[in-house]
Amino acid sequence: MRRRLLLVPVLLLCAAMSALAAEPLEITLAPDGANPASPQMGEHLQFGSVIRNTGGVSLHGIVAWISMVRMDPGQEQPMDLEDWSAHKAVTRATLAPDGAITVNWPMRLIQAGDFRVVISAVTRDSQRIVTSPFLDFHVRPKPVVESSRILPVAFGMPLLIGGLLAFRMRGRILRR
Amino acid sequence: MNPILLIARKESRELLGSGRGLAWLLALSAVLSVLGLLFVSNTELSLLDNAQVVTMELGTITALGALLAVVLGSDAIAGERERATLIPLLLSPARRTDIVLGKMGNQLVGWLVMYLIGLPYLWAVGSSGQNLAQACAYLALFGTPLVLGFGFLAQGLSSRAAAVRSALVPSLLALILLGGPVMLGPSFRQSAIGSWLDRVNPFAAAINSFDSVVIDSQSLSAQLARLAIVLIWLAATAAFARSSATSMNV
Repeated sequence: MRRRLLLVPVLLLCAAMSALAAEPLEITLAPDGANPASPQMGEHLQFGSVIRNTGGVSLHGIVAWISMVRMDPGQEQPMDLEDWSAHKAVTRATLAPDGAITVNWPMRLIQAGDFRVVISAVTRDSQRIVTSPFLDFHVRPKPVVESSRILPVAFGMPLLIGGLLAFRMRGRILRR
Repeated sequence: MNPILLIARKESRELLGSGRGLAWLLALSAVLSVLGLLFVSNTELSLLDNAQVVTMELGTITALGALLAVVLGSDAIAGERERATLIPLLLSPARRTDIVLGKMGNQLVGWLVMYLIGLPYLWAVGSSGQNLAQACAYLALFGTPLVLGFGFLAQGLSSRAAAVRSALVPSLLALILLGGPVMLGPSFRQSAIGSWLDRVNPFAAAINSFDSVVIDSQSLSAQLARLAIVLIWLAATAAFARSSATSMNV
């Protein structure tokens, strides 16, 4: 009975190892050599990654995508890449054994702060996600237009002149 | 009272007191508001540097001021002719040069109001950036002669035209010809014709000065040649307006 009980964790460990071994994808992630050393808001960055099939069988239905999180203390949050990049994912129908997909991930720096990017991939037949190593970068701020000042002026000035116009027209109507 | 001041005061009262004049100012303010909202809502524009945004705003205020001057200038004499008030005006003790200068007083007031309307917008886009005070000063220094020059040109054409429309169309074409390539961007000015036009174009001189003062923080001494172009433009158009007024037919 005791032997049987010992066998259970061993079997579970083997199952877990076989599941890991069954995920023959490897993803690298590195910054482009042409990236600015100290990037600022408005500039562009590019990241390169290679998604490689390290297994012995072809993989089908591969989807890889880029994700980013903000890492500033107290402001940690996942980022919506809508404005940052138009190239957020790649798909391949098949990836042969030892085959690789090289992907460049361009990015426009919309916001200042500390960020971390990662590339994730899944295949149709697998139940696990594979990720690249993290890549951290810092974006320097830049003095840009602040909406808190624009909005009152943009709405206030036409309202002021419009009010003056309405006042004049009302006075003219009353005089008649 | 000095006839120049008398005419200028009467015309200015019509501009600022009439519904039509206020509607014009409302429309010009709305254009600046839309531009300001684009600066914060458009991803590309929201990432522009403060100084770049201030320069764009200066160019827009100048262009709108010139547009107002063209409209007022086109109406100055031809409008009187259309309303059958030109003969009484010419029969008054005011000399024709006084009439020209009095009408220009109205345009000066129009530009002053446009300038004052533009200041809050400049503050809104540029107060967290650099050279905002210089931007306001150079808008007055370069914008005033440039805008008044367009006013003189329109007024000169207005003296020769039978109807407001006949003066307005060529004045607007001149504004588009001089202001269009400058407002559309530097790529239009890199061709041979574009660079030649850039050297003699008073509109380009003003915009290039705004650029070099606000973005590159250059001094006034670097702007003197450009200021000379703008002043020559003012003198030439003023002479044209005066000669048109003295030779006009009723």
